[in-house]
Amino acid sequence: MNSDKVVICVLGSDRPGIVASVSKVLYENRCNIEDVSQTILQSVFAGVFIAGIPEEISLETLHERLQERLAPLGLAALVRPVSPQPVYEPPPREPFVVITIGPDRVGLVAGITEVMARFGVNITNLRAAFRGGTDPHRNVMIYEVDIPLEIDQKAFKKALRDRAEELGLDLSLQHRDIFQAIHRI
Amino acid sequence: MLSDREILSTLEMLRNEHLDVRTVTLGVSLFDCAAQDVESFCRKAHRKILSLAERLVDTCNEVGEKYGIPVVNKRIAVSPIAVAAAPFDSREMVAVAHTLDQAAKEAGVDFIGGFSALVEKGFTTGDLSLIEAIPEALAQTERVCASINVASTRAGINMDAVYLMGQTIKEAAAKTSHADGIACAKLCVFANIPQDIPFMAGAYLGVGEPDAVINVGVSGPGVVKKAIDRARSTQPSLDLGQLADIIKRTAFKVTSVGELIGREVARRLDIPFGVVDLSLAPTPNVGDSVGEIFQSLGLRSIGVPGSTALLALLNDAVKKGGAFASSYVGGLSGAFIPVSEDLNIAQAAAEGFLSLEKLEAMTSVCSVGLDMVALPGDVSSETLAAIIADEMAIGVINKKTTATRLIPVPGKKAGEKAHFGGLLGEAVIMPAPKGDLSSGFIKLGGRIPAPTQSLIN
Repeated sequence: MNSDKVVICVLGSDRPGIVASVSKVLYENRCNIEDVSQTILQSVFAGVFIAGIPEEISLETLHERLQERLAPLGLAALVRPVSPQPVYEPPPREPFVVITIGPDRVGLVAGITEVMARFGVNITNLRAAFRGGTDPHRNVMIYEVDIPLEIDQKAFKKALRDRAEELGLDLSLQHRDIFQAIHRI
Repeated sequence: MLSDREILSTLEMLRNEHLDVRTVTLGVSLFDCAAQDVESFCRKAHRKILSLAERLVDTCNEVGEKYGIPVVNKRIAVSPIAVAAAPFDSREMVAVAHTLDQAAKEAGVDFIGGFSALVEKGFTTGDLSLIEAIPEALAQTERVCASINVASTRAGINMDAVYLMGQTIKEAAAKTSHADGIACAKLCVFANIPQDIPFMAGAYLGVGEPDAVINVGVSGPGVVKKAIDRARSTQPSLDLGQLADIIKRTAFKVTSVGELIGREVARRLDIPFGVVDLSLAPTPNVGDSVGEIFQSLGLRSIGVPGSTALLALLNDAVKKGGAFASSYVGGLSGAFIPVSEDLNIAQAAAEGFLSLEKLEAMTSVCSVGLDMVALPGDVSSETLAAIIADEMAIGVINKKTTATRLIPVPGKKAGEKAHFGGLLGEAVIMPAPKGDLSSGFIKLGGRIPAPTQSLIN
């Protein structure tokens, strides 16, 4: 089945020319890029493209053509229709930033995000940031989250702090506006 | 998306550099509590203060928790009692002070300001009753703060009031001799007092202010010092122009935080937001000191030659950064150099680097003045008055606020220590001029005329 919009994920070792190769294939197939984002984690490239696709080209064809071009570069591509099903409608919410600092070990992110998921707190951005070089005791994780207004704020904060303590993490939770106030004009 | 650097540097300011909101002060007008008898006045004032202040502490804590920035002090400032309670005698004024103290206690705040009078041009009977009541009122209460404005650029200096305050300070000290004259730590004498100071002991709600208002005092000497240290360690070649820019940027951040939090508290309490007071206000804690900034900028200690110039740079840079961050800047807005409340400044005084005379010179370029200065107990009320007169003259001529908070410590001499406890800290007693040096001048009385506003050198 053809859809008028597709999402294409491209994954592989970073090197010059990845975006050029992907966009060239899309161009040759008359796909119009509507939205795009890329990130590089350590040496791994990951890119997400949303593109409009002409009716006469099937997803399979597009996938094959992408693979043809990208496989020699050591890249993998995934093509999916943009789902027509209803998207997640967030409830009224406030943006917060959660920062955890502590020794690295298995299960830190799972532990923290389990509490967030249980309370319906949506993560809008998550990343690791390291302070003090590679000191494993100062492993920093930054979660930007939306906390729904309707949930029990105190219970959530307590659950989060308790979990951080179990995991040996120093946790701070602050409204996002404070970072904006301090750093942005 | 916020950058990692923005997020982590904010965290650093909070965790290690004492970034906080120093005070949220609720102003409460008591003019509508006017009454013929003191009982009715006290009853109405108590009810009004509590009706507005009931949620103050909880709200500040909730907002502080939301942003992860503590509101350290929550305070109340009321209309000048000498006006609001004008018909009463001094005994009744003491009763009013007790009411304020009780209301503050019930609201859970540590200080309430506004036991005040404005007498720069002359006294009303209410003013005289209030000043007469000050020693007893401050000795008997814990939380009440008093301030008297004795001078202004438009009125000159009321020297009768200056002398009266010299005597009042001595009396207040005597009534709290068991506690090193602590009553005087709650008593400021002002020139050009602003109507909206959120900081104690000078806070009161001015006559032109709304019925209730939230004013915020930001601080952050620790944040400024760390910013200077960081910049100098990464770029040792920075000159004073570049360092002033770093102070300015830091003041911008601190002020933005204060305004954000103040506005939210005001919104939640449904009370108008007034001003942000951009003052570098220290506390007696390491890393929260104005004096340490002097060392970060290359002086051996606050008080040595160069201190006045450095303070001028610091004070001006704080104002520039702060004024860009908030359109409603008021109060004192300048660096405070309270001797006992700043560990480093207290140390400078103890080591002899900082004298009364140098402090006086420095106050011509910063806010407040001779603040929390402990003096020998035997200093005469005429000498105290003369020290006050000098400080007032600096404010009047330079069209700025100056103030004194002088504490003659009963039974103690220069070099001994005075302990005030808590935020008021402790200090070595500074030497004061001895003997009958100024009384001839002080006893002349009258009013020093207002200065000309042109010919400005």
